[in-house]
Amino acid sequence: MPESANLQAKQLSYEIAQKHILSDINLSLERGKVLGVLGPNGAGKTSLLKLLSGQTASKQQVEWCGKALEDFSPLERAKQIAVVNQLNESVFALSLQQIVRMGWLPHKTLLSRENEQDHAHLAASIAKVGLSDKTHQTFSSLSGGEQQRGLIARALVQKAALIVLDEPVNHLDIYYQHQVLKLLRTLAHQQQMTVVMSLHDINLAASYCDHLCLLNEGKMIAQGPVEKVLEAKTLEHVFNIPCRIRRDDLTQNLRVDFYPPDEQEHPFMPEVMQYPTTTDIDQGHSS
Amino acid sequence: MNNRWSFLILLAVFSPVIGIFFGAADLPPKELYQCVVGQCSTQINSLIFWEIRLPRVLVGFLVGAGLAVAGATLQNITRNGLADPYLFGVVSGAGLGASIATLLFDSQIGETLTIFGMLPDVSFSIALPVAAFLGAVFAVTLVQALAATSFGGRGEHMLLAGVAVSFMLSALSHFLLFLGDPFAANKVIFWLMGSLARTELWYAWIMLPVVMGSVLLLLLFGRRLDALLLGDENAKTLGINVTAIRLMALGICAALTACIVAYCGGIGFVGLMIPHIVRRWVGVTSRALILGCVLIGGSFMVLVDIIARSALSDQEIPIGIITSAIGSVFFLLAIRQRQT
Repeated sequence: MPESANLQAKQLSYEIAQKHILSDINLSLERGKVLGVLGPNGAGKTSLLKLLSGQTASKQQVEWCGKALEDFSPLERAKQIAVVNQLNESVFALSLQQIVRMGWLPHKTLLSRENEQDHAHLAASIAKVGLSDKTHQTFSSLSGGEQQRGLIARALVQKAALIVLDEPVNHLDIYYQHQVLKLLRTLAHQQQMTVVMSLHDINLAASYCDHLCLLNEGKMIAQGPVEKVLEAKTLEHVFNIPCRIRRDDLTQNLRVDFYPPDEQEHPFMPEVMQYPTTTDIDQGHSS
Repeated sequence: MNNRWSFLILLAVFSPVIGIFFGAADLPPKELYQCVVGQCSTQINSLIFWEIRLPRVLVGFLVGAGLAVAGATLQNITRNGLADPYLFGVVSGAGLGASIATLLFDSQIGETLTIFGMLPDVSFSIALPVAAFLGAVFAVTLVQALAATSFGGRGEHMLLAGVAVSFMLSALSHFLLFLGDPFAANKVIFWLMGSLARTELWYAWIMLPVVMGSVLLLLLFGRRLDALLLGDENAKTLGINVTAIRLMALGICAALTACIVAYCGGIGFVGLMIPHIVRRWVGVTSRALILGCVLIGGSFMVLVDIIARSALSDQEIPIGIITSAIGSVFFLLAIRQRQT
């Protein structure tokens, strides 16, 4: 494990009712990097995120800045780690500003008042996610993408160094998917925030993450830089579906194309299996 | 927003004044002023002002404020706009406690037990609110236990457990009253409908510290209570001890409801209705909501009491009948609004 790693999981295991959900997960992430957690349904992505954010207690197996998450008090942990979960539909009409303002909670005692600096920071955080004109709008009236950006603004107000997101682009249209992920990458690279998120779309993960980890049946199948993790054979094995990997001409990002099983009978399908793997591509580049 | 707060403060100031002014006997404003400064022109006017009107208005304001605050708190911690001390079982629990206290300390059974030294020599006026509080805490504990075992511990589902507990404890307290007192029907009706008719000034001195203490505590923890609106999981990620905050809030609701039910019976629907009106006026965050509930809840009860006293010329309507009539319509509207 690199010494500079801020987030570390060492031989992390987790079970519910004697059923192994995660087994022997080792992971490390440096400050200012974006980690995408990939895997099919039931692979253990959400459980891993809950353990990495301290929502679920591990046995001192997860460390943030060299200190086990269990050794942080809940308030101390909230100052370091922000979690962006999908908000359940609220019965009461909270405004965007009221939701974002809750990011202050870990920093405020019962008697402390909000000062000018707090208000400026609140406005700046909302501006950073591009929602200044919606500050007083009811949160539930915002679009899915705006809500997600609002919750990220709350994480900014929380002044957390690590932000953990469970499928942040679920249910968002393609425009907002890119907008939200671009925002997270910018925050990581420009403000040295560490971002950990689970994603279903491998191509989005390839475009916006610095590192990936691939889970299957609670086990870590691969982890590291995008080029290392995205291998056709591995992905085919994990997702049980043929695929090919190519580099996008325009963005130079890796792209994975999956082919549904019933298309295996397709006349062009045999060719698919012969598409070059990442290794081939890398060799091609170096040659 | 400032205009709205100014209006609410004016309402809270003037509704008690109007409440003192209205009544069967005629007390002109000049006479009221003289009574306030302790110079009533007749002994009867002094009696009407100090023994009847003032206690009624003070207690009425505290009852309305307390029930509204309890309702608002229950709604916020369960994230359910239909929660109130009645539907949550707290009123029934307090009623059961009060019924037991009535049986033990204010009936023939109690006298017999006291003679045999089985009951401590505690005055009924102290035993009543303490027993009501214990009953309310028992109801809250029962609701929590039921919700945890049958509904997966979700705050949103506590209301279902509350309704079940409410019916169960009501039945039990009415049964106890009938068992112990041949003339229990009056008492049952009192608990069922609620009334400010028997109000005395010392009720207010017991209710005032409970209501004020509860409101101050809730204002102090306002920001943390707001976090519960995001759901338990989200609140925890903000460093909030959800269980402790919820237990504290439930304890406050139990105390508020107990001291009200002990002296005035179960006055329904105030705790359900007022928070909804306040939210529309001053917002949904806890601090604004609690303050708004004190002002509107208190004023509402004082104004409704004027109707209760003056609607019929020869007798008084129990105030719970009027609040239930208004509240039931409101309840239906609230459900309809949730569906749309």
